[in-house]
Amino acid sequence: MSPRKRLLTRNDLTGYLFNAPLIAGVAAFAVYPMAAALYMSFRQTEGSVVSGAWVGLSNYSYVLEDSQFWKALGNTFYMGVLSVLLGIAISFIMASLINSLKWNLGKNFFKGVYFLPNVVSAVATSLLFSFLFYPGKEGLLNFMLGWLGLDPVGWFTDPRYSRLSIVLMSLWGAVGYNTIIFLAGLQSVPRDLHEAAEVDGAGSFKRWLHITIPYLRPIFFFMLVMGTIGGMKRFTDVWLLGGTAGNPSGSLMTAVLYIYRNAFLASQMGVATAASYLLFIIILALTAILLLLNRKKGGPD
Amino acid sequence: MTNFAPTEPLIQKGEEHLSLSRSGTLQPPSRKRRDALSQTVLFIVLAAGSIVMIIPFLWMVMTSFDWGARLQLSFPPRLWPQDPSTKTYEAAFTNIPMAKYIWNSFLVSAGVILVSAVSALLSGYALSKIRFRGANIVLLLALSTMMIPFEMTMIPQYLLFSGVGLIDTYWAFYLPAMNYAFGTFLAKAFIDQLPSSLREAGVIDGASELSVFWRIYAPLCAPIVATMVILLFLGVWNDMLWPLLALKSSDKYTIQIGLAMFTYNNGLNQQPSIIMAATAVSLIPVVLVYLFLQRYIIESIALTGIKQ
Repeated sequence: MSPRKRLLTRNDLTGYLFNAPLIAGVAAFAVYPMAAALYMSFRQTEGSVVSGAWVGLSNYSYVLEDSQFWKALGNTFYMGVLSVLLGIAISFIMASLINSLKWNLGKNFFKGVYFLPNVVSAVATSLLFSFLFYPGKEGLLNFMLGWLGLDPVGWFTDPRYSRLSIVLMSLWGAVGYNTIIFLAGLQSVPRDLHEAAEVDGAGSFKRWLHITIPYLRPIFFFMLVMGTIGGMKRFTDVWLLGGTAGNPSGSLMTAVLYIYRNAFLASQMGVATAASYLLFIIILALTAILLLLNRKKGGPD
Repeated sequence: MTNFAPTEPLIQKGEEHLSLSRSGTLQPPSRKRRDALSQTVLFIVLAAGSIVMIIPFLWMVMTSFDWGARLQLSFPPRLWPQDPSTKTYEAAFTNIPMAKYIWNSFLVSAGVILVSAVSALLSGYALSKIRFRGANIVLLLALSTMMIPFEMTMIPQYLLFSGVGLIDTYWAFYLPAMNYAFGTFLAKAFIDQLPSSLREAGVIDGASELSVFWRIYAPLCAPIVATMVILLFLGVWNDMLWPLLALKSSDKYTIQIGLAMFTYNNGLNQQPSIIMAATAVSLIPVVLVYLFLQRYIIESIALTGIKQ
């Protein structure tokens, strides 16, 4: 046998050896769990025993007929869409303002300040805002509403406002992150495009509208995709602020909280994995729709 | 056409200059004044925005020193403590085993960072410099698993660890850290830019692949390792979902799950200044990292656009 036809060359062996930790990690903590979750979603599994009778699609139909699941999905979607759209709008405006500031020291200062909340954990943010958004008149936000003559609002305790409060809270953390990415994008807009338009008599607002925004379209879509995926996975803050029941009155029940409840409180692993696959399919579908929209609108450029 | 195109903007630029001078001497100064005005407005709007960002921090720190708010919020809300004291911090450390939790968080972070960075560098190097069969498959598989949300895999992963008896140990953190495909991606992209001739020279000199990697390439990878360390530290320090599932005994809790469980058991909105003191302490490491490495963090996020 010629050496070229040998089963494994030296390079092959070293390559696999160097990749062994990665391959083992991917196999054990990505491929296996995905397969196991799929398997479990077709079985009647209770407790931590991965076995039980084959029940076909009944776990899926249970989830799909459970009004709790739809409510959780609706809440997740509502909070996700609102925080993604508001977050993108606010951070794009902020990034544009920072970018037009001519004072470099100020630029860096604002960048730093806006980004700071992003390093704060979801737990710390939730604890902090549970006091800032305290339902009584002692809460800072309600106190400020008092200046306007408004009555205290039960931000996290009134089901009418709880989801909006979560959105406001997450905006505090997310705006800086998106601002940084937008700023990087804004700096990549070719200057001669602006100069040409200026020569044609376009004011700075017009240029922003017709040059900057279309030029940054890929970044907008990137943020829509990342924000949507992130929004669909909301758990830590609603768990801490609303408990496992998603209080007040289930308004903070999210899809991941639904999965968590079924898996770790009710020990319904089959139902929980079926719900997690449904959530995964929804995330994939949303991502695909956004990417398709991007491609369609993109046209030849 | 090609000759004409570049002259077109030049003519228009000339016209603009003409119109400027035609409309009199007032034009340049008024434009300057308008600029100064718009810069001032910009600054005021941005400053107002940063006050909104800062006030929660300020309120947290001020309340954390307010012994008067140890049982409930004071009315009216005040920025300056009613009864300034550091006793709130003493209470935080005695009511909640903060020192233990913080130590645990450091242990978990250090282990995860070590395992992830080594795994990412080894695989990134091999995928970039060693030609082996199936390299593309490995890369494609690793990158495609990056799309899988952790929430999808957490149930089987929990059952896997409880099946082998590693729940409530830090192995439940160190072992999954091997799967750091994003780091592999970063390392490969970085090593792609380093010359392959270094490896060839080393191999000719009879050095083993491992020593070529460790002595020649690994030291050159310092910048990308720094990026990974920062992103991993922020991610691991702040995570709560996996610690919630994987850690059962309270003496193993990391700081996030420790704080969360304390609040969960005592109820929300209790002991404002003590909770705020504990929260402020939990933020010190990430805020320090941010203050000293801000440039790195902002650059790496602008570069990668992905936080984990």
